Amino acid sequence: METLSNLALGLGIAFTWQNLIYCFVGCFLGTLVGVLPGIGPVATVAMLLPFTFGLGSAPALIMLAGIYYGAQYGGSTTAILVNIPGESSSVVTTLDGYQMARKGRAGPALGIAAIGSFFAGCVATLVVAYFAPPLVEIALKFSPAEYFSLMVFGLIAAVVLARGSLLKATAMVCFGILLGLIGTDINSGVARFSFGQINLTDGLGFVPVAMAFFGITDVVMNLEKNEQQEASTTRIGRILPSLDDIRMSFWSILRGTGLGSMLGVLPGGGALLAAFAAYMVEKKIAKPPRNFGHGDIRGVAAPESANNAGAQTSFIPMLTLGIPSNPTMALMIGALMIQGITPGPQVMNERPELFWGLVASMWVGNLMLLVLNLPLVGLWIRLLTIPYKMLYPAIFAFCCIGVYTVDNKIFDIYLLAGLTLLSYILIKFDCEPAPMTLGFILGPMLEENFRRTLMISLGDPSVFLTRWLSAAFLISAAIMLIAVTLPALRATRDEAMRE
Amino acid sequence: MRVNSPRDFCAGVFFVALGIAFVVLSSHYHIGEMRRPGPAVFPMIVAVTMAVLGGVITFRSVVFADNEAPLDFHFRPIAVSVIAITLFGILLDWLGLVVAIVALVVVAAYATPKPRLASALILACAVACFSVLIFVGLLGLPIRLWPEL
Repeated sequence: METLSNLALGLGIAFTWQNLIYCFVGCFLGTLVGVLPGIGPVATVAMLLPFTFGLGSAPALIMLAGIYYGAQYGGSTTAILVNIPGESSSVVTTLDGYQMARKGRAGPALGIAAIGSFFAGCVATLVVAYFAPPLVEIALKFSPAEYFSLMVFGLIAAVVLARGSLLKATAMVCFGILLGLIGTDINSGVARFSFGQINLTDGLGFVPVAMAFFGITDVVMNLEKNEQQEASTTRIGRILPSLDDIRMSFWSILRGTGLGSMLGVLPGGGALLAAFAAYMVEKKIAKPPRNFGHGDIRGVAAPESANNAGAQTSFIPMLTLGIPSNPTMALMIGALMIQGITPGPQVMNERPELFWGLVASMWVGNLMLLVLNLPLVGLWIRLLTIPYKMLYPAIFAFCCIGVYTVDNKIFDIYLLAGLTLLSYILIKFDCEPAPMTLGFILGPMLEENFRRTLMISLGDPSVFLTRWLSAAFLISAAIMLIAVTLPALRATRDEAMRE
Repeated sequence: MRVNSPRDFCAGVFFVALGIAFVVLSSHYHIGEMRRPGPAVFPMIVAVTMAVLGGVITFRSVVFADNEAPLDFHFRPIAVSVIAITLFGILLDWLGLVVAIVALVVVAAYATPKPRLASALILACAVACFSVLIFVGLLGLPIRLWPEL
């Protein structure tokens, strides 16, 4: 009952004019970047940080959240109609969605994607509303040892779930942690790895790092591929799926939503992983006749539901623990810090209007997205006719301005240039940037909690294993790591990732 | 010696080199003691882990053929992009936002094989106008627009 009254409080906040407008702006921009390939939610949120300086914390968070889950809706549109995933999380949707479009069923594909996403969004909103408060209760009892072990668990989970080599992903996490440690050490005041540079004593900002790794480098890779997009001439036709379509995809939507909600909470999880997993599961357990890869509507329904659910539940660790599960969430934390709020378990009790307003706005946002996407789909498709060579210089400009305006430091621009080169080289070495950014974000927190634990225990490192919750996290991390290195499971993982 | 997985080999060497560099840098800081670990401890642990992982990656890349794809660099897009952004930084400091954006957009256009100067200039003006209106006009961010006389 308490949850319902809290949700009512949240709805009251989400339905103020100001918040409705920012929610709409967020969803609109999210759909826009979702449709446009080559620019994702991370870069967009980073670019829009300066827009939030003058806002209150609730509208700022509502708008940024809208961008993230809005992008999941928009990404499916291009995936289905032109076989280009507008967002990495809609890669799987291209498999069956585009095949459906080629068979003249683009309308129902878009329709089921939107309906699935909407359903998943509603459920995920409830999941956040019901699961976050008990988690906060637990989190308030955490000592530094638990925080440390939880973060280790999170990083290992991210490595295990990352694509490609396990070893390289782990090394990238380490590299990220080390980059995150650059700057003044808060305990001793020593400026580490700063080479006497004043600019480095504050540490590297997350915005230049995120922009370099997810904004500029993505554009550069697209330019290398130099693929010309064909302007779409697909006729969309009737959008509403038939009763048969709905009956067929009903369970897929449910499964996708459930799986997505769970996987979204994991660090390194979120939308992308949820979509992949949902598709794999669907291929295994959907009722015959299975027609996956040749336009099976369930191959659209499940991953689309999953990515939207995952996008929303990935807010849970950020809101309850103050631990970001992916780069977008790290930027949200950045946005909150600018507002003078330190994310963590105390936020829900101290600022209930912020927490519940955000949760309720997710539901409102999903409703808006339904309207934005279904009737207006033709409009979004026309955007794809803008040639990429007009688009990318503008993306560069907005990225640079966004990076500069966070701190008004020219140094951050040079940092952006340098990190772009670094991330390009790493991608050429087949090293995924995602685990690195997670290490970068968690590195300082990891060290802080590590040192605090040792200080409290008077130098006895065994507390990490004698406190049962901390031990549970570490043991689960170890089991996970051992499990994926076992040959049998390793083969399945590799197979799953190759799809 | 024949390297079976060139990309992995490079990655491994990169991690080893960087790991050693961070260990050396960390060793200048205070180690502290168990009950009060100094600033050197944590980076040292992480850097050693990274170097060891790098070593394993390098070893595997020589022995196993996991990933035989060769390294392929396309210099033009990445070089032009990095130059364009660096130029933006220099010009923003020196001549203000408008000039910096125009230069960034025009230079960035050369990242593609067949750039056209005229269309790049038009795009540059459009982006500059838009940015000035939104970021400085609407949001009132403190950015200098024009060169100081």
